[in-house]
Amino acid sequence: MSLDPERLGRALGGDALLQHEPLDVAGVKLATTLRPADGERLAAALRLLDEAGAAALVRGRGTRLGFGNAPRRADLLLETTRLAGIDVLDADEGVAHAAAGTPLAELHAAAREAGWELPIEAPSPDATLGGALASAAAGPRVLRHGPPRDHVLGLRVALATGERTTCGGRVVKNVTGYDLMKLHCGAFGTLGVIEAAWLRLRPLPEETRVLCAWLPEGEPGFAPGLAAARLGSARAVALVDPALAGRVDPGGPVRGRRLLVVELGGAPEEVRRDRAALEAHDPAEVGPEALQRLAALQETPDPAHGLRFRLVLRPTRLEAAAAPLARAGAALLAYPGAGFLFAGFPLYEGADELAVDAAWRAARDAARAGGGSFALEAAPLWAKSGRDVFGDPPEALALMRALKARFDPRGVLNPGRFVGGI
Amino acid sequence: MAVVGRERCLSRPEELFAYECDGLTLHRARPAAVVLPLDTGEVARIVRACRRQGVPFVARGAGTGLSGGALALGGGVVIECARMDRVLELDPLERYAVVQPGVVNARLSELAAPHGLFYAPDPSSQQACTIGGNVAENSGGPHTLKYGTTTHHVLAVQMVLPDGEVVRLGSVAGWAPGYDLLGAVVGSEGTLGVVTEVTVRLLPLPEAVETLLAVFPDVVSACRAVGEVIRGGLVPAALEIVDRRTIEAVEASVYAAGLPRDAGAVLLAELDGAPEALAGQVERVRRIAGAAGATRVEVARDEEERQRFWRARKGAFGAMGRLAPDLYVHDAVVPRPRLPEVLEAVCAIGDRYGLKLANVFHAGDGNLHPNICFDRRDPDELRRVVAAGEEILRTCVEAGGVITGEHGIGTEKRDYMPLLFSEEDLDAMRRLRAAFDPDGVCNPGKVFPTTRFCVESDPKARGYDRVPL
Repeated sequence: MSLDPERLGRALGGDALLQHEPLDVAGVKLATTLRPADGERLAAALRLLDEAGAAALVRGRGTRLGFGNAPRRADLLLETTRLAGIDVLDADEGVAHAAAGTPLAELHAAAREAGWELPIEAPSPDATLGGALASAAAGPRVLRHGPPRDHVLGLRVALATGERTTCGGRVVKNVTGYDLMKLHCGAFGTLGVIEAAWLRLRPLPEETRVLCAWLPEGEPGFAPGLAAARLGSARAVALVDPALAGRVDPGGPVRGRRLLVVELGGAPEEVRRDRAALEAHDPAEVGPEALQRLAALQETPDPAHGLRFRLVLRPTRLEAAAAPLARAGAALLAYPGAGFLFAGFPLYEGADELAVDAAWRAARDAARAGGGSFALEAAPLWAKSGRDVFGDPPEALALMRALKARFDPRGVLNPGRFVGGI
Repeated sequence: MAVVGRERCLSRPEELFAYECDGLTLHRARPAAVVLPLDTGEVARIVRACRRQGVPFVARGAGTGLSGGALALGGGVVIECARMDRVLELDPLERYAVVQPGVVNARLSELAAPHGLFYAPDPSSQQACTIGGNVAENSGGPHTLKYGTTTHHVLAVQMVLPDGEVVRLGSVAGWAPGYDLLGAVVGSEGTLGVVTEVTVRLLPLPEAVETLLAVFPDVVSACRAVGEVIRGGLVPAALEIVDRRTIEAVEASVYAAGLPRDAGAVLLAELDGAPEALAGQVERVRRIAGAAGATRVEVARDEEERQRFWRARKGAFGAMGRLAPDLYVHDAVVPRPRLPEVLEAVCAIGDRYGLKLANVFHAGDGNLHPNICFDRRDPDELRRVVAAGEEILRTCVEAGGVITGEHGIGTEKRDYMPLLFSEEDLDAMRRLRAAFDPDGVCNPGKVFPTTRFCVESDPKARGYDRVPL
């Protein structure tokens, strides 16, 4: 890297430049972290990196940093945690403006206090807003919330080439110019670094209830899961494999039985009615922590101990798609209404390429059977080599490469980490 | 053209006349030719033929757009998608449909209804406008408050890129790997390629619908009621306000809905969902409206009455239209709490320019539609219409708003883009454009500020085009 740390320090302020013991990030050892204090300095940092031909790995608090291909190259970490704070939380209008490094949990709490809900979740309780947007994160309520992009009204983004740009705005309906928000959400910071976002909030449901039901032995649960997901007040529906179910409802461990978890929310009358529709499963009411436990399950096994795939499939084909995964030994967590399937494969001591290959093939077959896609969200580094963790290449890969070339011609941001080695 | 044969290719002046403008009659440009393909393969061949001959092209649906988006500038070819009107698949179990772009919006909901489903985006022109046009403009409608706009309901598209290649974006499963190019294409005003197949989400029909009509002494109190409804955590399917000027026009027309002519504003609120929960919500809205100063609140007793209530809103454009040969339907959005002051300013602007201006608006979204009736044959009136329009946009931007909520930029507002975006912001949009269409041959002259493509055939419209910022 022909990047002069002193010049960086002068441009960004000395406290923005952190030299530390080498950190191993996705197989690259990095001893420098840039932590710009504001948007101006974030853009300035990118300008300098671009001029110097350097490459940066972008992170918020790094909770999703393990997801992605090994970088082609990297010189330093670029961290957004100092871009933090909620500038606006308009309780009349139901919109908020927050900086990218703001912890998602802080936003959830602030919104709740004002009588609103931020419909964006991430598996880790430490996630930042910027990280959740950039990685298109999803939590147990993905059924109700959909993808994070749906709640982004406007963005401030520092482009890879150093321009500080705005797209969208604060109003809830807007077709002024191209919808660049969609491009940056889910781009894993490969086009620019999100600095701040205007978000649309939703009213808090008047009443919520979380129900847990142990399904009869051998019942795969996809049909009742989909039926529950289609109740008008369903916010979250999860189906948990017997091997994992005890971690969600420790009170009712029943060997060989799957657990159905349902969160209902809305007007009390509607919740009552929908609850009655679930009565046949004899559910028990549990606290909202059950959903946090589901989110934690999305992150197991950790990359040191196994492989974790995320599949997004057509809901009516989940059962057929799950079969090859189960046969290959995966523990499954499903969000049936949203078509989400998390498949964890433990890697035992001495596991080799053959084991990874078998799991990979099972995930790929499941994605094809389910009419959707798969990604290897977590794996030890050696298991990623020679594979694109984002699965089968999308049909529009050439267009995506063209887009990357226009936004980041010199490959400053996360080079090689995204789909197809973008 | 060899691709479609003489029968589906129009090139005589009298045939091209109808394609000189869309729903925005202010701007006109005559295309070199109009072709009517039947499927994706034909569109791809047309696009490649255009490339070989070096002519630009633009896709067109029903031509109901309101920002000049379907105009063929620079002697371009119009690819008219009206004959690509087949519904290719409708999966009631998984709740989606695959349609060709020429399928009319309302027809999709009609076909879905027997399965208990509907297609949510419902622009005012839904009886005529097509899904392809809706995708291009990211169309909204009165019910976007609860259901969102087109972008929230499109799962995938097949499109012909400006180099003639065919590509699929998105996934019927909802999440697709890689950049969300689908999200960028929806609302790109036909500048990134020609969409030839659209997979849309269908939603279950609401179990029950309740519609309220509240009469207020003035717009300010009607807006206050809207604010209280939203602050109170209710999510009505629609919250629409019609102002006094519109009420007068509607009541004097065939659309008369029996509104008191001295009313200052009428609020139309629609709630839908589980019948068990609706009664309480209707009561809450009724109380809020009363507390905000409503002099009368009615709840529709049956479908017939519900339709009568909606006539007050949907008949507005027709009623205004009969007052003069041309109707300019404006579109801008402001943060909802700023609505009362902005509306007052908008009316003042109309009065100052001596124009017939009336407002109907999606109050819940802060989306204004000031309508101006005029006669474009009167050059002085035309000048005033344009000048007032510009002042209205500036007022909305100053209030923290944007210059279009659902009609798009097109040719109409391209030169106002710098009101909101810096050169760097626009350059980021140009990078997206260049990734799809490096040579700028697909619907050129739209969205971006430019002086290169003049809107040609109408001398008066050319005057409009030269209005400085």
